[in-house]
Amino acid sequence: MKKRVLTVDDSRTIRNMLLVTLNNAGFETIQAEDGVEGLEVLESANPDVIVTDINMPRLDGFGFIEGVRKNDRYRAVPILVLTTESDAEKKNRARQAGATGWIVKPFDPTKLIDAIERVTA
Amino acid sequence: MDMNEIKEIFFQECEEQLAELESGLLKLNDGDRDPETVNAVFRAVHSIKGGAGAFGLDDLVSFAHVFETTLDCVRSNRLEPNQDVLKVMLRSADVLADLTNAARDGGNVDEARSRQLIKELEALANGEMPQPAPEPAKAAPIAQVAPAPAANDDGFQPVAFSFEDFEAAEPPTIEPSTYEIVFRPKSELYAKGNDATLLLRDLSRLGEMSIRCDMDRLPALDEMNPEAAYFSWKISLKTDKGEEAIRSVFEFAEWDCELDVTLASGDASDAGQELPMQPVPFDLSLLDEGAPAQAEAIEDDEQIVSQQHDLRDAAVSTAANASNVLKMAQTAARAPVENAKASPASAAQAAGQQAASAATPTIRVDLDRVDRLINLVGELVINQAMLSQSVIENDTNGTSSINMGLEELQQLTREIQDSVMAIRAQPVKPVFQRMSRIVREIADMTGKSVRLVTEGENTEVDKTVIDKLAEPLTHMIRNAVDHGLETPEKRVAAGKNPEGTVRLTAKHRSGRIVIELADDGAGINREKVRQKAIDNDLIAADANLSDEEIDNLIFHAGFSTADKISDISGRGVGMDVVKRSIQALGGRINIQSKPGQGSVFTMSLPLTLAVLDGMVVTVANQTLVVPLTAIVETLQPEASAIHSFGATQRLISIRNSFCPLLDVGRILNFRATQANPVEGVALLVESEGGGQRALMVDAIQGQRQVVIKSLEANYTHVPGIAAATILGDGRVALILDVDAIVAASRGQALKPEMTLAATG
Amino acid sequence: MASRNNARKPLKLAPVLDLNEATALHNKLLELKGAPIAIDASAVERVGALCAQVLMAGAKTWEEDQLSFTFAKVSDAFVKATQLIGVDIAPLMAKEI
Repeated sequence: MKKRVLTVDDSRTIRNMLLVTLNNAGFETIQAEDGVEGLEVLESANPDVIVTDINMPRLDGFGFIEGVRKNDRYRAVPILVLTTESDAEKKNRARQAGATGWIVKPFDPTKLIDAIERVTA
Repeated sequence: MDMNEIKEIFFQECEEQLAELESGLLKLNDGDRDPETVNAVFRAVHSIKGGAGAFGLDDLVSFAHVFETTLDCVRSNRLEPNQDVLKVMLRSADVLADLTNAARDGGNVDEARSRQLIKELEALANGEMPQPAPEPAKAAPIAQVAPAPAANDDGFQPVAFSFEDFEAAEPPTIEPSTYEIVFRPKSELYAKGNDATLLLRDLSRLGEMSIRCDMDRLPALDEMNPEAAYFSWKISLKTDKGEEAIRSVFEFAEWDCELDVTLASGDASDAGQELPMQPVPFDLSLLDEGAPAQAEAIEDDEQIVSQQHDLRDAAVSTAANASNVLKMAQTAARAPVENAKASPASAAQAAGQQAASAATPTIRVDLDRVDRLINLVGELVINQAMLSQSVIENDTNGTSSINMGLEELQQLTREIQDSVMAIRAQPVKPVFQRMSRIVREIADMTGKSVRLVTEGENTEVDKTVIDKLAEPLTHMIRNAVDHGLETPEKRVAAGKNPEGTVRLTAKHRSGRIVIELADDGAGINREKVRQKAIDNDLIAADANLSDEEIDNLIFHAGFSTADKISDISGRGVGMDVVKRSIQALGGRINIQSKPGQGSVFTMSLPLTLAVLDGMVVTVANQTLVVPLTAIVETLQPEASAIHSFGATQRLISIRNSFCPLLDVGRILNFRATQANPVEGVALLVESEGGGQRALMVDAIQGQRQVVIKSLEANYTHVPGIAAATILGDGRVALILDVDAIVAASRGQALKPEMTLAATG
Repeated sequence: MASRNNARKPLKLAPVLDLNEATALHNKLLELKGAPIAIDASAVERVGALCAQVLMAGAKTWEEDQLSFTFAKVSDAFVKATQLIGVDIAPLMAKEI
């Protein structure tokens, strides 16, 4: 069965890159444009793994991760943070919010797939 | 979808982000301190940087990075965004826009300028207040001014993904050694969606592994917390990948476990004696849902790699065709459907995807599609008119049901047409936003202090009109700042605010869009204009002109009131060019000026260029359409009102003033001799320069809205004719170019052979 | 007493034994406490360490109660996962009598 990936990113460019990369790697991809939408589609997306940006309008990545971790059904889903912010402070905040791992931008398909493979069974 | 298409999307997105950036900065400039405004500004730059990084656009990345760092200071309240700071930021936004354009279209940017700004941004981030810009182009390498992002210690690496990186990521093969690993997860590790099982799986892939699970801390069932970590592991791993590879398996778990990796002193069997260990079978296929999946993943890697090459190619090739976007949209739209087909189980998920897209209230459609639709609707309108006409002609006692049906059809066609036109309607906001940069630049160049106020930015008008609006508007803004506004010293002397205001307003008025550009400068210096016009032989030295007529002189070709051609509004173009481009859009422009108080330019434009309200007239048995907007009034000339002068010129007196009478049929060479004015109808039109002319036609057939068909696209340019249309009876009618006719009457004859050929 | 009772209570494990399942599994085992248990792990696809902990705590508790705690059926995935994490289930496998 194909693994399902929910991506949450406000940049159309990055969304498309994620879509192409993930589809090529044999994943099923569901996309949301910000944290609010990400939480809205969580149920229907039923993801095996989530990839999220940090800087987003309405609800940022930190808030989104906290939201997922509070969801009884989806709190165990691994979440990878996709962001250019790789400094310790941001990583730490994401981790405290409950992120499983991170992928440092610039966007790199190999790193992305690798990270997803690492956190999923 | 390939990387070129994504790159095209990236540049589209950049444009949006740049607009967002600018409007956010302007809001901050006006004292807005809403954190969301700062966030939006930050996000815009951040987003550009993120995409640019993926495409290896290093110049863009480095600049965005420095800009972002400074914005982050504002975001975290370490830097107060006062006017001086914002000045630097607005200029940085301009440079960012230039860099984006250069990345898309090639071409050069002013490197000295971006270096200077990087320096200023750095200074701001370091808590220094902006300095008045010193000599800008000190050839200091960027690396010294700003920490080169490549070597940045926050780990940010502006390296595009490439095959090389992928290879470099492979750890070097070294002699196999045995490592002893102690791994004690904390409960947090599990709470964050990670699992010791997965880490051990990845670890086992590095080599031969033996493991012992330490269950000593595991309590009795009723005393345990099922989500707490009790197990820990001792692992012996023989691998040729090195310690780094082992540690990198635990990269994500670093904070959530205790990890101890040591090189085993003896051989592996020693450890085996010390701890009873279970060898881990190499075949763990079932754990990761089958080895085939793994093989597939490797293939995919190769695909990705080839895509990486595409991507890099894309970085050097020029921007892809815009229709690629359409293809992409189609692909995206198809995806959920295919998913649903692929497995019924995923239908719910596909529905989720749709739900996700339902949350977005807009779709992006390629312009070609809309244009095709508009063309088709145009055909429909014509067809409907033809149908009505033939029913009327053939079915004299037409049943009421047919007539009612036709009426409804007409109604519906109109509605469809309006709705389709509305698709192309867009707010003038992007154009208005561009103007603020223009104002900033000219203000800088002229040393004037200017504030641009915009109103009605959300007023919508057809996209073609918007696209063609930018150029005349830019020129007018330049003109307003350069010629309209006074220097701060003069303003203070005149008792005005040293900061001048330019107000740009858009609104709808009676089916047209009206754009007003007002400045609070000195107003038109009528003496100067008048003198200049006399010097240039535009008017006679003793001509008696009204204020309005003098003001309108600035629209005359080659007219410039600036004493010397300035760098800004000079450039060899005058207001006459502005006027002509506005007229080419079917619009009009006029000026009102009050000495000492400023000038107001008012442009009135059609909402769409696809349809036109016209008056259908007959000239020498030809049917012509005259744009209704050009017509002031129509009248039936009386013999007593016609006066001849010279060999061929005639005038018509209208309410005690004389107006040149132009025979359209003669000018277009439809006939060899002038028609008798008394037998025809005169259309009073407003022409270039404000003066009026009477156009003589044989008869008026009526008024109707016509669909404009380009003659250039379907035939060739015909002098005196703006475009063509198809009437209800199927005949082609030409749409008159009123200004060209008026110009021709002044002696610039139209080429006769073309004209007749076109009407045959 | 209880050891006399040979009627083993069955417990079928869920396919995915992840964080969420750990609490559920814990509760199920607590309910079945005091009686011999035969666990059906034939449907298991994924074994997280937390569920392995719960199962092993169960085995320990059952052993203290001197009740039988066996895996009646196991899937390949289950066996391999336990091998990977160094949890020896061989002594707990149901013996054909």
